[in-house]
Amino acid sequence: MESTERLIRTWIATEKDEDIKEIVSEISADKTNLVNVVKGLGEYLTADEEDLRRKGVEFLSLILASLPPDKINKQSTRVLSTFYAGKLEDSGTIIPALKGIQTLVKLPTCGTLEVQSILRSMFLHAKMKALVQSVRFVVFSILDSLVANQRDVLKAMGKEFLDGYVLLVDGEKDPRNLIVAFAIARVILIEFDIHERVETLFNITFCYFPITFRPPPNDPYGITTDDLRAALRGCLSATPYFGSLAIPVFLEKLLAGTRATKRDALQTMGVCLPVYGSALARAEARKLWNSLKLEIFQPTDSVNEEEALRTTQILVKTIHETDEPTGDDAEIQGLAREVCEECIGILKEPEKSQAKPAAKILCAFMSTTPSVAKYTISQAIPHLVKLFFDPDEAGNRMPVLTVLSEFITAARESLSKLSPLPAQTEDGMEMELTVPPLTPHKDEVLGVLMVGLKTASSRRPALAGLQGVVTTENLLTDEELTFVVHNINEILGAGSDDLDDASDAVLDLLSAVAKVNTRPVEEQTLPLLFRSLPDTPPASDAISERVKILNVLSTLETLCVQAQLFETLVIRLTTKLDLICVPSSSFLTGSSAMEDEVELHAAYAHWILNTLAKTLRKKVDKGDPDVVKYIDRLIPGIFNLFVFAAFSASDEEVGGRVEEERWRKRLGVATDPRLVKKAGEIITLVLQVLPLVKQESYAVALYDALIEGNIKSIVEGHQKIPSDRKLLVFSDTTPTVQKNLVALFAAAITPLRKEVRPVVSEVNSFLDKVLWWSLGTADSELQRDAALELVSSVLNKRVDTDGLDTFLGTTLSVFWDRKINSVGVSAERRRNAIKAWKWISKALLIRNHPMALEFTDRLFEAFGDEAVGWDAAKAVGEVAGTDDVLTKKHHAVIRILYAQKYVNRVLPRIIAGAKDSTKPREQTASLVALTSLITSVPKAAYQHELPGLIPLLLRGLELPDANIRWNVIDTFLAAAEGDSPEHSLVASHAPTLATLMLKNSNVEEMPSLRVRISALKYLQKLPSIVRYDILHPSKSTVLKELAKALDDPKRAVRKEAVDARTAWFRYHGSA
Amino acid sequence: MPTEVFNPNPVVFSPAKTLGRKSELLAHSLWIDEPTSSDDETDNVELIDQDEVFDLIRSIYDPEHPNSLEELRVVSAPQVSIDQNRITVEFTPTVPHCGMSTLIGLCIRVRLLRSLPNRFKVDLFVKPGSHQSEHAVNKQLNDKERVAAALENPVLLDTVEQCLRDAGRRGQPVEA
Repeated sequence: MESTERLIRTWIATEKDEDIKEIVSEISADKTNLVNVVKGLGEYLTADEEDLRRKGVEFLSLILASLPPDKINKQSTRVLSTFYAGKLEDSGTIIPALKGIQTLVKLPTCGTLEVQSILRSMFLHAKMKALVQSVRFVVFSILDSLVANQRDVLKAMGKEFLDGYVLLVDGEKDPRNLIVAFAIARVILIEFDIHERVETLFNITFCYFPITFRPPPNDPYGITTDDLRAALRGCLSATPYFGSLAIPVFLEKLLAGTRATKRDALQTMGVCLPVYGSALARAEARKLWNSLKLEIFQPTDSVNEEEALRTTQILVKTIHETDEPTGDDAEIQGLAREVCEECIGILKEPEKSQAKPAAKILCAFMSTTPSVAKYTISQAIPHLVKLFFDPDEAGNRMPVLTVLSEFITAARESLSKLSPLPAQTEDGMEMELTVPPLTPHKDEVLGVLMVGLKTASSRRPALAGLQGVVTTENLLTDEELTFVVHNINEILGAGSDDLDDASDAVLDLLSAVAKVNTRPVEEQTLPLLFRSLPDTPPASDAISERVKILNVLSTLETLCVQAQLFETLVIRLTTKLDLICVPSSSFLTGSSAMEDEVELHAAYAHWILNTLAKTLRKKVDKGDPDVVKYIDRLIPGIFNLFVFAAFSASDEEVGGRVEEERWRKRLGVATDPRLVKKAGEIITLVLQVLPLVKQESYAVALYDALIEGNIKSIVEGHQKIPSDRKLLVFSDTTPTVQKNLVALFAAAITPLRKEVRPVVSEVNSFLDKVLWWSLGTADSELQRDAALELVSSVLNKRVDTDGLDTFLGTTLSVFWDRKINSVGVSAERRRNAIKAWKWISKALLIRNHPMALEFTDRLFEAFGDEAVGWDAAKAVGEVAGTDDVLTKKHHAVIRILYAQKYVNRVLPRIIAGAKDSTKPREQTASLVALTSLITSVPKAAYQHELPGLIPLLLRGLELPDANIRWNVIDTFLAAAEGDSPEHSLVASHAPTLATLMLKNSNVEEMPSLRVRISALKYLQKLPSIVRYDILHPSKSTVLKELAKALDDPKRAVRKEAVDARTAWFRYHGSA
Repeated sequence: MPTEVFNPNPVVFSPAKTLGRKSELLAHSLWIDEPTSSDDETDNVELIDQDEVFDLIRSIYDPEHPNSLEELRVVSAPQVSIDQNRITVEFTPTVPHCGMSTLIGLCIRVRLLRSLPNRFKVDLFVKPGSHQSEHAVNKQLNDKERVAAALENPVLLDTVEQCLRDAGRRGQPVEA
């Protein structure tokens, strides 16, 4: 007791937390009790001085808050509640008393009597308007706890509680309190008997609607407008009693409000209407619709328009949800009917701008209730069909079809939304729901769409409609699908001139059909398409025929991705390919010019290979499992054709007769390097997806053919090749057309996995041989590139497994000195050697091999070289770039962030070189290396260095090489991405940049089209990334200079110039 | 917003067919997907043609509706003619009493002023018989001084800029 009194005295003097803690621990340990505390406080609680009284009550409340609940028994609760209720009267003690009550009402020992006395006192004495926010918040917390724990007591208090509550919350404005108040109100509105106080409660909730609160910046409480909106919405939609009072408020806010208010009103209505019930909705339907209509037909923005549509949907749903589906002719009455009629009335002029929202409303109706959807369809479709066939409206078929196709799509969408869980107990119901709502009108709709399809102007919407019909589940039978495909085929076959516009839609439609059922497409469309591919190419001046073939091929390419169709495609196209490349001898016509004919045939074959490759690529990207089987069905045939052609074209002349000579030349079609390359692409695509085991077994045959010339096991097809014939691509004496085939081998080897062992006796010497072959024996770009890609790929994957250090060692020493760093060798050869060097470095670099940097460092040594300095510099950059050989898809070993590491390593050296003006040649080369490096690596790799690089890049813009300038401008464009006027990288250089770009955009100073376009693009960008005050002095010059670019001889340049100039015209100070 | 709406429910047309440039490209070369060295540096001159001028003005918005002039058939490619350094553009107001005609004309004028080389002289006419005060509108639009004076008016200029905000689309749909 004494210690308690002592502690009380010290606390009153010091207000330190320790004293509270100590008392609490003493009470917990039963050394003292609450009675003692109250006794000890006695003199303070009754003191005359307000401050002392306050402190007394506060002390008690603080202890109460810290005490474990089981230390306060029923008796004390009773006493305390009476005590606190009394203290509420005293304006000096009301604040700590409320805090005490806050603790008290949470106690389980707090009973009915206590609650009532506390509440009554609160209603009587708590003058909310006189209290500050934090205290009001305590009041709300008390109410909140009471509503949570003592709901029955409150309910029993009935009107007394409601009136008291209204008094307390009336006029509250602080969002922190409101969030709690709304939560309390929702409970009251839902659970309490409020019917006598509806209006009062309506007043204290609806006065907040719509919420216009905007949180202050850096609001520490984190209450957003949306939180408040959602909480209030919870109240407004809590009880149907509000209905008749609320609708006028909503409509008023909708009419007069701003965008945000309108949106809020629309959304809130959407939430409330179902709660308010169908009777009210029906009674107010007209009024509501009239307001909603306005928002749909004259929307303030597209979001509100959508919200209005959604609210309309909800309204209709609310009204008609209770409608019984009365058998077959569900005659809808009420709003849905009226709106439908109104919209259809508007749709009598489908070409007018109002038709669009009207159609949107009808479409929205499709996703309301099944009966409304059915009714809407039964009204709209016949109307549209009639309109379509009305001779007076013939000119408006296009808009009619547009509306119809939107409608079909909406009907399809509604299917998934309307059909509820299939667990419908009543028979028949379930069946009915899965039937698409469009079914009864299927025939008319199809008829209209078919007619629409025939005319070019209405083809697009007709196709869109068909797309909708085809993709609706369970709508069309297989026969009808066949019918659709048949009709599309007719327009496909009719000629492609007017199809251009719609060809994409046609393809989409056919693909959609193929997804449902491949048969109609396979049996009808594909033969038609294949038939339009001739066996011989059109003459070089027959442009329209050529375009037609190309269109057919691109159609096939889009269509035949599906496994079954692709199989047909491969069979038909490879047959065609064989026919084009190797005709039977009777096809030979004597008259046409030979060179020309070979060229034409080669181009035609190239288109076909291209189609195969592109389709295959799509399948590979999609991860289709059927690609694997084409290692047996496609690849041997391709090898067969190309090997045969290479042999035939290079055979020794036997008789030297003119016909035979011509024949040989004609067979040379398939030796065209471009064809070989394309064929290689196909081989790579198939091989890259093979599983490891298959790759391994294939590699055995492949290397056997490459090294020993035993091609028999990889070649199989129509063309006869003597079985003992050998193909020795690496031999010095092999004719060049045969050497070209190295590209096919490289294409097969580069996508092999790293586990696949090269089947050669010694990999080091094999690579060495191929590398030297590429420089010595290879006599075309194709051969060289193929050999280097092969070396690079094997090196990348096998450098550690096969111990390729010997190869690297000799290359580093011998190859560099003999092939690159040797003045005796011709410049071209040295350039090729640098290319080889680049490929080797790259193979090592991307896997972070320790020797990679030894290779790249060598390149710097060549910077001073007059002949190859620039090539070496470019190579320094290109080493880090990506290419399409060493890729993840080709199973190359790539470590993450290799580019980053490389940039960190070489960039300082390049920058130093570019700044060093003592060696001008090296300095320029460094600039070249810099641009090349920056264009090859991702932006993130050099981002941090960018500010320092800009002056160097600006110098790059003055180098004479157009390609370099283009790269530099591209870099600037890339750097501008994500740049903003507030912190622009280029701000301090902007005027210089503008001048330089203008120079590069002028046709008289810059002949390259690409550079001019890029420069103009950058000029267009500048205003959006640099503050106006910086470029203000340049504006008039830029506008004047850009006027010259407007007269550029090239259309593409003029377009950019117009856009750039527009951007500058719009460039103003922010004020 | 103007208080009076002259044509509350105009007819909306779908955009005209895009030019067959795709086939033009295909016809260009025998080989597809092969880089041709000549692409960059050929010096054949592409003259400014009807379609190009139309491209410049087709996506200007109507001051009254959220539709482009093309969609409302106010302008069309055949209504543009070019004779050396003289361009004539004709446009059709949606209704004969349209009070917005001068504003539409002004938008077209400003767009062309900014986008065509200085050597061109542009004449702007309302389609004969399509407007009740045709003559006055024509006179106003082709009077340099009056156009310049109109553009001194910041409110008017702002309206014009609003109409021109997506003019760079050139008939392409708005990017999402």
